[in-house]
Amino acid sequence: MNSLIVVSILALVVLYLGLFKAKNALLPVSVLGLVAALVLAVCEWNSGAAPIFSGMMHFDNFAVAFTSLTVVSTILILLLSKQYFEKISENVAEYYTIILFALAGIIIMVSYHNLSMLFVGLEIMSVSLYILAGIKKRDFASNEASLKYFLMGAFSTGFLLFGIALLYGASHSFDLSVIAKYVTDHPEGLNPIFYAGIVLIMVGMCFKVGAAPFHFWVPDVYEGSPTLITTFMATVVKTAGFAAFLRLFSICFAPLSDFWMPTLLAITIITLFIGNITALFQDNFKRMLTYSSVSHAGYMLFAIVALGATSSNAIFVYTAAYSLASIIAFAVLILVKEQTGSENFDSFNGLGKKNPFLALVVTVSMLSFAGIPLTAGFIGKFFMFSSALQEYHIWLVVLAIINAIISIFYYFRVIVAMYFKDAERKELVSNGYFKLVLGASAIITVVLGVYPSLITDLF
Amino acid sequence: MSLFYLVAFLSILFSLLVIFTKNPVHSVLYLIATFFTFTIHYILLNAQFLAVVNFIVYMGAIMVLFLFVLMLMNLNKDTEPVKSNLIKIIGVIAGGALLVTLVGASKALQTSAVSAGPNSEIGLVENLGKVLFNEFLLPFELSSLLLLSALVGAILLARKDKKTQNG
Repeated sequence: MNSLIVVSILALVVLYLGLFKAKNALLPVSVLGLVAALVLAVCEWNSGAAPIFSGMMHFDNFAVAFTSLTVVSTILILLLSKQYFEKISENVAEYYTIILFALAGIIIMVSYHNLSMLFVGLEIMSVSLYILAGIKKRDFASNEASLKYFLMGAFSTGFLLFGIALLYGASHSFDLSVIAKYVTDHPEGLNPIFYAGIVLIMVGMCFKVGAAPFHFWVPDVYEGSPTLITTFMATVVKTAGFAAFLRLFSICFAPLSDFWMPTLLAITIITLFIGNITALFQDNFKRMLTYSSVSHAGYMLFAIVALGATSSNAIFVYTAAYSLASIIAFAVLILVKEQTGSENFDSFNGLGKKNPFLALVVTVSMLSFAGIPLTAGFIGKFFMFSSALQEYHIWLVVLAIINAIISIFYYFRVIVAMYFKDAERKELVSNGYFKLVLGASAIITVVLGVYPSLITDLF
Repeated sequence: MSLFYLVAFLSILFSLLVIFTKNPVHSVLYLIATFFTFTIHYILLNAQFLAVVNFIVYMGAIMVLFLFVLMLMNLNKDTEPVKSNLIKIIGVIAGGALLVTLVGASKALQTSAVSAGPNSEIGLVENLGKVLFNEFLLPFELSSLLLLSALVGAILLARKDKKTQNG
């Protein structure tokens, strides 16, 4: 709760700093404020015993963990924004403000205990993102991304809202614990509209996290948005979407898993195959990353398909690993695009000789994406697969391993381009913030891969 | 009860007219009439607040927006996209599947006793305000973040930049 207040006020403070032309203070103030929010969130560990504000919000350990993860990712992304937003326009303060508003919405999404809070949080996040996707006003791709995201997002919110209304109609409450009690009290005769509500909510959430067959907006939106905003969408927003999805399904719908699990299983398998096979044919690095993000959504859905005691831990480890790897990949893409003007795989040629450090961190990130041992990505996949095996989804794991093998092929194309293809190029210059973020993310990725017990026993 | 049936009949009639009129401006005008019948429904259901909001926001603001967009878009008969046969066949199949689902679902329906809501006076403005500022205070306050974010964003996107750059 405290971190939500801090982030909301921080957004207003940053807006005022922009008004008083304090350009140089924007980044330090934002980062310091977020660090304060992080500390306050961690302090609430083990203290959120009961829902607060008449059951609106429950800041339990799940909420603390995901708030911390999203705040840390946002800090890393904001550190990359030095010199980035200035190139787009002068309204830098507003960009920071809207990112912070989106983060406030995300904190609500990971700590809600009432469906009205879920809706408010989701809308704060989505509306901020529709704007952020379109901040390059003269760029058609950015305009398209913004409009497409807005139309698709509004459409999916309609599904979600209709689902929430039907759940209310059946259970007479928005409160998660009352809905859960309604489900357990009526083992046989649930009102049929309750089932329709579950399906509609599932459709809405799958839209938001970009799972196939509701993934059509993902490639265009991720590719058209400014790369730093894409980083935010692919890491923080995805984490929040899955946290909200898991929270709802594990608290309310767990006893009904026989009803929704087959549907979600089919969605998972379709997502895995569509994401990986389409990514295989991309020549554009950014577009490859967007399709790979669709396929990672498939792996993350494992935790919900095989709902159990370890689900929250599995999704936490997976999203942490995936966020770190994505931040590295997109950060290096920003540097490469600045120099060569292109986002293709070819523009990475010869990077290994000129910029050994950048090539090394990209290699770590790609290995983590592919789930090679000794990286955090492996631990994430290991947790997902073992939780699926506990629920006896053996075929799902077999299909997922086939997909992991397909994905190795396209992730290694980058590594091959960097080390084994020569090209005339100059050394990429990056400022200290980039080195700090890249180095820190790569080190955390490897450390988590070697000592996974640091975060695997949280819950 | 007869009033309900009359209003319900009008709702359906006007919404059919929305779809079947050729002229888009007439279509929007019928949509306004449809929303007006919804307002009467809300009053019949003792939901004052919803009725007022529906009247002001939907019939007023949103419909004016619709009309503006229609006039800006300059919809003539020549610009109307021609739908291919394939799309028509897909539409018929999808619509038919929906119809079968609806018929199947309505066969499974059974009438049950009217379940009394928590409080039938809940739709009155006074009670709604009490709930909003008691139980739902936190989401109510937090929606100010939503409005502020949309406000900042709208101004950000609509303002002219002195310096712009592509890429």
